[in-house]
Amino acid sequence: MKYFTVSENIREAENVNTLEFYDDIRIIPGQFIMAWVPGINQIPLSFSSTGSPKSITVKVYGDASAKIAGMKTGDRIFYEGPYGNGFNNITGKKLVIGAGSGIAPLVPLVNESTTGIISGKTASDIILTSKFNPDRLIIATDDGTAGIKGFATEAMREIDIESFDMIYACGPEIMLKAVFDYIKGRDVKCQFSLERSMKCGIGICDSCSINGYQVCHDGPVFTSEQLTKMDEFGKTKLTYSGKRVFF
Amino acid sequence: MLETDIGIKLENPFILASGILDENGYTVKRVLESGAGAAVTKSIGSSERRGFEPPVIYSDDNYTINAIGLSNPGIEDYGNEIKIALQAGKPIIGSIFAQTPEEFASLAKKMQGYGASAIELNLSCPHVNGYGMEVGSDPELVSAVVSEVKSNVNIPVYAKLSPNTSDMIEQARAASKCDGYVLINTIKAMKIDINARMPVLSNVYGGLSGRSIKPVGIRYVYEVKKETGKNIIGVGGINTVEDVLEYIMAGASAVQIGSAISSHGVSLFTDLSKELKKYMEMNSINSIKDLVGVAIR
Repeated sequence: MKYFTVSENIREAENVNTLEFYDDIRIIPGQFIMAWVPGINQIPLSFSSTGSPKSITVKVYGDASAKIAGMKTGDRIFYEGPYGNGFNNITGKKLVIGAGSGIAPLVPLVNESTTGIISGKTASDIILTSKFNPDRLIIATDDGTAGIKGFATEAMREIDIESFDMIYACGPEIMLKAVFDYIKGRDVKCQFSLERSMKCGIGICDSCSINGYQVCHDGPVFTSEQLTKMDEFGKTKLTYSGKRVFF
Repeated sequence: MLETDIGIKLENPFILASGILDENGYTVKRVLESGAGAAVTKSIGSSERRGFEPPVIYSDDNYTINAIGLSNPGIEDYGNEIKIALQAGKPIIGSIFAQTPEEFASLAKKMQGYGASAIELNLSCPHVNGYGMEVGSDPELVSAVVSEVKSNVNIPVYAKLSPNTSDMIEQARAASKCDGYVLINTIKAMKIDINARMPVLSNVYGGLSGRSIKPVGIRYVYEVKKETGKNIIGVGGINTVEDVLEYIMAGASAVQIGSAISSHGVSLFTDLSKELKKYMEMNSINSIKDLVGVAIR
């Protein structure tokens, strides 16, 4: 398996770390790797920097992410990939909307003129704020401990959505569905990065699929036009065993 | 021109193999609408099963090794997926795994009730203890499973056999009451990462598929067709129309496609149909039947 050698581990918040490394591999923002922690697990991780150095930002959810978050300079991140289509990064005026650690893969799209919305359950979920121009950043938390109280869509009400050339969104599917519903009928384009239960990364095991499309291979980025035709979006998904459940 | 008959009639000989793109009914529907002649479901058991933890797949240009671990939602929940897949209007072949003849028969009846056109018995998964290959390597048990399933359903029953055996013909004879053989399942294999100095798959062992196993598949199709004369569905490493022709000439009346979809996408089914038709036209062959087993000596 391929590997990245960690050059620096930066602590972003409690249980959130950014691992930097130097590697010539070409990464499109929004693509991801299946990172293998030998003897523990293999998990999908996206890139929070695709330039030099490159980086992944990991939030601790389980044993594998904890192991990666605790890596030191010189440690190896084993991986397969990069996988997925990635975002179509435009040159115009951008709005990025990330929920929790969903903000990480959006960071490579951000420039001085980009507006950001970062949402989370509570203040400690809000990460990577330093990547944004403070005048163009809106924070929203469910409990109101940081920024405005409410979901990401609450923050969207504060800005003129139709003034953007492209919106990029990443986070739990329920949040993406809320953003999708909010922009419905408005004159604006949007790309959504989905996350479903992934196993193979190469588009054959059908674990992460939505209406016949494999999130790991055909996605993870889908446009609002594509999602309009997918009635599974925000409604049902398959569990790790393959059982259909409602969100 | 591309029609073929394996006890059920197919508009073309290209079938989606079990375990690939067949957990979600919407995906099966999309594959069928993309040109597959039929689809085999993921192997379904009596109850929900999580399967193994990642990594469950390792792949490079020439091969794939998987140990998914027979993850499935259980037969009760899978009916809804088949209902969705049937919207494509093409045959669905229900793959099932179990430990006893009675359990196999019960699953087969459910599959028939859901609208499956045929049953594929998984007697050959190489990476789960107590199932698949372990059932398949006991000729008496295989014989009892096939008899019990046959007497409980009225749709064709295919036996998917394992290449991990010392005597394929003995396996085939044990399953002789079935309506056809599916040859071959994956070959038990493993991958070690030299930097991590350990096996990649969490289950250590997995099943090898992809280009590298095609010659083994061809050999078994040839051998079993020559010995039994029964209908055979060939599977293992098919990527090109040449691979398809090789399987047909060895004795296959239809073929299944799996790992190749990873590099070619679901359009592979339509592409293969076009190329096979072109070959048949150029060689003045009217029916696939005229090619089945022509290489057998």
